[in-house]
Amino acid sequence: MDEGLAEFSIQQAQKLGASYVEARLEETTANALVMKNGAIEASSFDHFEGIGIRFLIHKKLGFVSTNELTKKRISEILEKAIKLAKATRTMGENISLSKEKTEKAKYEVKQKKKLVDIGIEEKIKLLQEANQAINRTKIKVPSRYVVLSDTDTREYFTNSDGSKIFAHVPKMNFYYFLTISANNKTTQRYWVYGASGGWEQVLKWNIPKIFTKEVISMNNILKKGIKTPQGTMPIVCGPQVTGIMVHESCGHPYEADRILGREAAQAGESYIQKGMKGKKLGSSIVSIADDPTIPNSYGYFLYDNEGVKARRKILMKNGKVNEFLQNRETASAFKTKSNGSSRAADFEKEPIIRMSNTFMLPGDYKEEELFEGIKKGIYMKNFMEWNIDDKRLNQKYTGAEAYLIENGEISTPIISPILEVSSLKMYPAIDAIAKNVELHAGDCGKGEPMASMPVTLGGPSIRLQGLRIK
Amino acid sequence: MKHEEIAHFLLEELQRKGADDVVLQLNTGENTLIKFSNNKISTTKTWESTNLSIFVTKDQKLLNTSLKSFDKEHAKRSAENIIKIITKMQANKDYKGIAQGPFKYRTENELYDKKIEDMNEEMIDLVKQAIDTARKKTKRTAGTFEKTVGESYLLTSNNVEAREKGSGLYFSIRTFIDKNSSGYGSCVSRIKNKLKILQATEHATQIAKEAHRPKKAMSGKFDVIFAPHAMAAIVERLADNASIFSVESGLSCLKNQLGKKIANEQVSLYDDATIANGYGSTIFDAEGTPTQRTPIIEKGILKNYLHNASTAKRYKTKSTGNAGLISPRIFSVSLKEGKQNKEELFSQIKKGIYITNVWYTRFQNHETGDFSTIPRDGAFYIENGKIKTALKDIRISENMLKLIKNISVLSNECTQIKSWEVETPTFVPYALVKDVNITKPN
Repeated sequence: MDEGLAEFSIQQAQKLGASYVEARLEETTANALVMKNGAIEASSFDHFEGIGIRFLIHKKLGFVSTNELTKKRISEILEKAIKLAKATRTMGENISLSKEKTEKAKYEVKQKKKLVDIGIEEKIKLLQEANQAINRTKIKVPSRYVVLSDTDTREYFTNSDGSKIFAHVPKMNFYYFLTISANNKTTQRYWVYGASGGWEQVLKWNIPKIFTKEVISMNNILKKGIKTPQGTMPIVCGPQVTGIMVHESCGHPYEADRILGREAAQAGESYIQKGMKGKKLGSSIVSIADDPTIPNSYGYFLYDNEGVKARRKILMKNGKVNEFLQNRETASAFKTKSNGSSRAADFEKEPIIRMSNTFMLPGDYKEEELFEGIKKGIYMKNFMEWNIDDKRLNQKYTGAEAYLIENGEISTPIISPILEVSSLKMYPAIDAIAKNVELHAGDCGKGEPMASMPVTLGGPSIRLQGLRIK
Repeated sequence: MKHEEIAHFLLEELQRKGADDVVLQLNTGENTLIKFSNNKISTTKTWESTNLSIFVTKDQKLLNTSLKSFDKEHAKRSAENIIKIITKMQANKDYKGIAQGPFKYRTENELYDKKIEDMNEEMIDLVKQAIDTARKKTKRTAGTFEKTVGESYLLTSNNVEAREKGSGLYFSIRTFIDKNSSGYGSCVSRIKNKLKILQATEHATQIAKEAHRPKKAMSGKFDVIFAPHAMAAIVERLADNASIFSVESGLSCLKNQLGKKIANEQVSLYDDATIANGYGSTIFDAEGTPTQRTPIIEKGILKNYLHNASTAKRYKTKSTGNAGLISPRIFSVSLKEGKQNKEELFSQIKKGIYITNVWYTRFQNHETGDFSTIPRDGAFYIENGKIKTALKDIRISENMLKLIKNISVLSNECTQIKSWEVETPTFVPYALVKDVNITKPN
């Protein structure tokens, strides 16, 4: 990686009149292995290198990228991009950036077992063991689609304020989609695991065990599951469900660019408005954080892609709106400071506000204590189908592995319980929070063109009262 | 030319080292995007790339990679590396080879327009016109205007050498009266003069106006009219279910349905990459097979799954020209228009719902087809063919096979849709669907 090209880009854009410039050089190696129905389908390995440059000229914002890493080409594309940004003179929004500390840093995620040393044979062996684990259960799993992938990204960020940041973050991802079949019926389940670090993180997941547990649980639901009783009753949600809830109806609506309407035509709007800080939207025991600094997490970074130092943000604090996800652009509009939430999916995408690791903070209970005292209720351990409206109010979660709670204990498996609820009713309905925080991986979509971003979503098991289950 | 020479060199190197099948696809492209929100342009973006995708097989072992540095030394090293890694792979017994060329290709049909290549600052003027038009009737706009220009060169070990040049324009706009009342419009074209920005803007504006002061949700079974943006999101998913990859992976409700009647006679669905000015149209697929118009559903009967050369051989059929580098894919979906005009569809509704756009289409079970999707922008309650009131907080909680079976009337005009939600360009008419399950939140 030739850092000189990033410095050159800054100087060149300044020569052309830019008042602010940032350049992000990226080099990524990527590997993926696909197994379909027990057989290795294909594998891929790749190497990307390129530069993304963002600038302000006459207060107008522009972005340009290329994978032709020569001074000549960078000069050519910059000239073109600056001309285009200048042409927005009468129509363009006047953009200013919050003043932030200049940072000089170098950080790296340590790998005990380096990904580069893991041969394809070892990865194949792991997926085969996982497949055999399914076979050993003797349960019919007619479709099995599995992808094991990793990326190793080195980036150099610099800007005209003088920040210079090197980052080296290897990440890995394991995705599965299984169809379980019995008595002429099927049920399906997908999930994703992700981490930053070395191969040791993959081994920690214990993929064969994940498959064994998943297949046995879902087969039990398929064979013994009864129709979900409808009505208003206590609901206990497992960490995966809590995770998707906080991602969709707290993380996204607390993104300041959404609040300002900047994502209106793509990822949508928000029920949260600029002046809502301090407004009570949840029960007092609910606090939700977004924290990129968690070691070995899938949403890990220490400096964002505007060069701002990352930190934990408490989005909802004791049920009240506390802090939004800000970049330098929105921070300026909100007259505050950036909290380091700007991320570029790759060198071809402009950095925008993104979540990192978003999760509900733990409570005082053990998970089993949440069931105590429930005469009849629902335990939704995980889910398949979910969606949410444009403003992040009306959301639906349909359980995959789920059970009745009877007289304080988990009892009969149930089929596809549905929680369809407004955010304004859901967060106040939480009356107990357990300690068992889990972080689960996801790839979050936002922007145009669509920029997929590694994040985690999580939290502990929670109990909700007074909501209707369908 | 230099890059094509490297592709030839790489092909020879790989073959010399024992590769069986080789597919090399050289793509160069440049995109410009104007993003606007709150009636102002918020950013301009330009991105470009040159990439040589490489697909290699040896002893039924499959590998994908790419080359970014275009000189013989890098190509040579890449070939060595590919062969080194591929030998460690495991054979995919299902793999049956790539398409055998040479092929005769049709002449390009409205896929490229030099005038698009030259557009830059003019794009800003067009965005301004759209915003000005929308602001006459609404308060706020947001959207994007994107230009794409690219070239593709395909070279395979099975006697295929083909080139294609393409251009495209994609405009999308959301207009708002207030936070609860919005409309969406979009348009795409490969030819500059055929892009209908103002028409898309007027469409969005009209919906936003009608969506003013939405009433609370309703739930139950309703006859629903889906506007093209909403119908495209559903139909695109259905067409994708026809890829044999989806069928084999548990991702299709069309499994075991081949030859069966799954919809009424007026429903015909195609993957058709030959449509003139189709945003997803292309002359050849990823292994060089000429693309075609493939019936997925014809007169209500499921006719075909979508194949590449390898899967076609396995299923003892012919490739439908839908190869992606690993698995068959859709290029351009088309739901055939019906005979009645849009107004006639509305006149058939005594009490029903009109949905203009949806997003977040998610499945509980892809094989059974149980899914839900959520309206975005204007949704309306209709009484005696007329919009009675705007609705909010509703959701379609349905089964794909049931919904398709319940398509009762299609309008006589198709619109080509590409949007944030619909990635594969899809031609669709308005659709009247009976007994759609509408739900609402707690």
